[in-house]
Amino acid sequence: MRKSLVFALGMAFAVPALAQSFTPTRPVEIVVHTGPGGGADVLARAMAVMMEKEKILPVRVQVTNKPGGGGATAAAFLAEKKGETHMIGIFTGVWLTNPLTSAEAKVSLRDLTPIARLLLEPAVIAVKADAPYKTLNDFVAAAKQKPGELKQSGGSITSRDNVVRQQLQKVSGARWQFISFPGGGERIAALLGGHVQMMVIEPNEAGEHIRAGNMRVLAQVSDSRLPAFPNVPTLKEAGFNVTPVPQVRGVVAPPGIPRENVAYWEDLLKKLTQTESWKKYVADNQFEPAYQTSAELAKFYDEFTAQMRDILQEAGVKTVR
Amino acid sequence: MDIAAGLLQGFAVAAQPANLLWCFVGVLLGTIVGIMPGLGPPATIAMLLPLTFLMDPASAIIMLAGIYYGAKYGGSTTSILLNVPGESASVATCFDGYQMARRGRAGAALGIAAIASFIAGTVGVIGIMLIAPPLARMALAFSSPEYFALMALGLAMVVLLAGRSMVKALLSMLVGLWLAGIGTDLFSQTSRFTFGRMELLSGIDFVVVAIGVFAIGEVLANMEGREAAKALPVPKGLRNLLPTGQDLKDSRFAFANGSLVGFFIGVLPGAGSTIASFISYGLEKAVSRRPQEFGTGVPEGVAAPEAANNAETGGALIPMLTLGIPGSSTTAVLLAALVLWGFKPGPLFIGENPALFWGLVASMYIGNVMLLVLNMPLVPLFAQVLRTPAYVLYPVIIGIAVVGVYSTSGSLFDVWLLAAFGLLGYVMRKLDYPSAPLILGLVLGGALERALRQSLMMSDGSVSILVSRPVSALMLSLALLVLLIPAFGKLNRLRLQAIEK
Repeated sequence: MRKSLVFALGMAFAVPALAQSFTPTRPVEIVVHTGPGGGADVLARAMAVMMEKEKILPVRVQVTNKPGGGGATAAAFLAEKKGETHMIGIFTGVWLTNPLTSAEAKVSLRDLTPIARLLLEPAVIAVKADAPYKTLNDFVAAAKQKPGELKQSGGSITSRDNVVRQQLQKVSGARWQFISFPGGGERIAALLGGHVQMMVIEPNEAGEHIRAGNMRVLAQVSDSRLPAFPNVPTLKEAGFNVTPVPQVRGVVAPPGIPRENVAYWEDLLKKLTQTESWKKYVADNQFEPAYQTSAELAKFYDEFTAQMRDILQEAGVKTVR
Repeated sequence: MDIAAGLLQGFAVAAQPANLLWCFVGVLLGTIVGIMPGLGPPATIAMLLPLTFLMDPASAIIMLAGIYYGAKYGGSTTSILLNVPGESASVATCFDGYQMARRGRAGAALGIAAIASFIAGTVGVIGIMLIAPPLARMALAFSSPEYFALMALGLAMVVLLAGRSMVKALLSMLVGLWLAGIGTDLFSQTSRFTFGRMELLSGIDFVVVAIGVFAIGEVLANMEGREAAKALPVPKGLRNLLPTGQDLKDSRFAFANGSLVGFFIGVLPGAGSTIASFISYGLEKAVSRRPQEFGTGVPEGVAAPEAANNAETGGALIPMLTLGIPGSSTTAVLLAALVLWGFKPGPLFIGENPALFWGLVASMYIGNVMLLVLNMPLVPLFAQVLRTPAYVLYPVIIGIAVVGVYSTSGSLFDVWLLAAFGLLGYVMRKLDYPSAPLILGLVLGGALERALRQSLMMSDGSVSILVSRPVSALMLSLALLVLLIPAFGKLNRLRLQAIEK
């Protein structure tokens, strides 16, 4: 009893003391690994606007684009800024998978200070509206009948698009082609033009094409059904026993920053995720809120990396780590 | 009738004083950003995004689009005056633009560029207005085999960019193709020619090579002799600083050619304005009555690529507005902006937001007029830059080049690369290797390889996919025809000689 009282008192004193010990005094930089308009860039700019609107950060925020090397340039940039207290970066799963396949990408997320996981981006499996496939089973059965003839458009071979394909091929024994396109627009154009038969797409992008009657969704790559697609089965519900690999976005900081600095960022992001504007942003974009603290994040790294390494090796991708 | 009503509604939106002001702010910012190498429209638009939340969405999109097409006007300025291409789409403008400046016709070149931009920009808007939705659907029929054929057609232009020696031109192009292969391979995720350097993982930025080979190479070559280091001639009198009637007459086909080529290539999500400007330059030279004078400073050599890269803007907005598919990094930022403002860009966007769409279209007509009015008076002013003595001008050019490259990537590695390519440009000049084919190979190499490998994956390895599809077969035959042009030229000369005898 007394012990817990002392503990509670201690906490009551410690928390404000911790929060007060670091306050940013100059503009905060958010480093992203894409150019303007890329996914991480858009998120960072939206965060900047929200932090300003909700007045949870006393200074201005600026976004720094460090594109290149599939996240390697931005990760290395953060690693070089050892001890920098006014800088955070937005990471995605690419920051974990890229060092697996690229010997040059030497900096891994483990070399940076984890701050928080913010959200997961679910995806859906879409076909053209006039395609003969009504369910994911139809598609897989057709692929089984004509091995290698059906095609899927997607990003690079290490992207989630291809991971989903690998997983589905493994459990079903079917085989279809995966064609890489560098831009999201080209992937959609390839599907709508009838040059490929299937793609993994973000629910929001698919939403407008469904509304216009151009696309049909067969299944969703998530653990539970998304609010906007109440009648579309998840992969498991569709009869495919695969664990969806999450597309994750979170925040890291340079290595070697003081503990109160970590606490400040954690606290700031926690506050951000509780604001109305954030909730609206997440709902509008059909993301899954998935806040995790710095400590939980480290565990997530390991699970995710191990899962990806297995999948990539099975897909015949050469891993270097 | 629908279009007339829509346009009327659009002008009602665009002609509101506030929107006129935002349109002006946009095109002015665009011109400035276009003139400065390095800082491009995508970065500018991204930086202004927070500001647009305080604005009415119609005003905001009018301003941001103004930056986009305004930058294309400004992009030619440094190409013509300093041989520093401000963005990849202005490289082809260097070929004849800078030569015109060296012959004391900088004003005329800048004027032609502004007029070409105006005509093509307007053609682009008319295109959006009249045929956007059907055209977007047609563009979807374009797939990897067609892209491969388009890139092959572009690459065939090398025979038109070659100087005296075809072998040297081809060697130069091969180096360009090799440079395009550096980086991470999209299909297998393996690194190629990165020499263990992380900075090379995403390849070499085209702007670094273009600025190095053109601008730095030119400065180095000019510094050799006192003779060449003299300031360039700038004629006195306003009349001599503007294009003549003869210039406009020479360029009239180029205006049309550039506008159409630029617009149609712009609609394709996987192509881009750089390819459009090269193809339109090549086409202009191929049909010209004086092809041998291209590269020495002919106005139509400026008009064609400038028109193409401005018309491309109109074309590139079409897949974004009608399908929600961005074809370039700028349209990707614009798309992100629409999403952040709460719109749902996609196939239903125009139908559900007619005021916004038509307001944008109308503002682009107004913006293009503003740009012409804004840019023409600047022409004589900019032409004075060349009066600067060489000992001031050359360091300034090198400074602009370094800042431009550094501001694109923020990486010092790229500045060292710039120096290396500057030396390469100098050596190539000394040994009489043309640099344009190198740039052509670098620009088209990546897309060419991707399209070929995608095609072969689609056909499970059968090459016939490239020739069995009508559009791709047609373009490949065109490419073959272009390749044969030098042979025709030779035959023709032989024939003429025979007649003389």
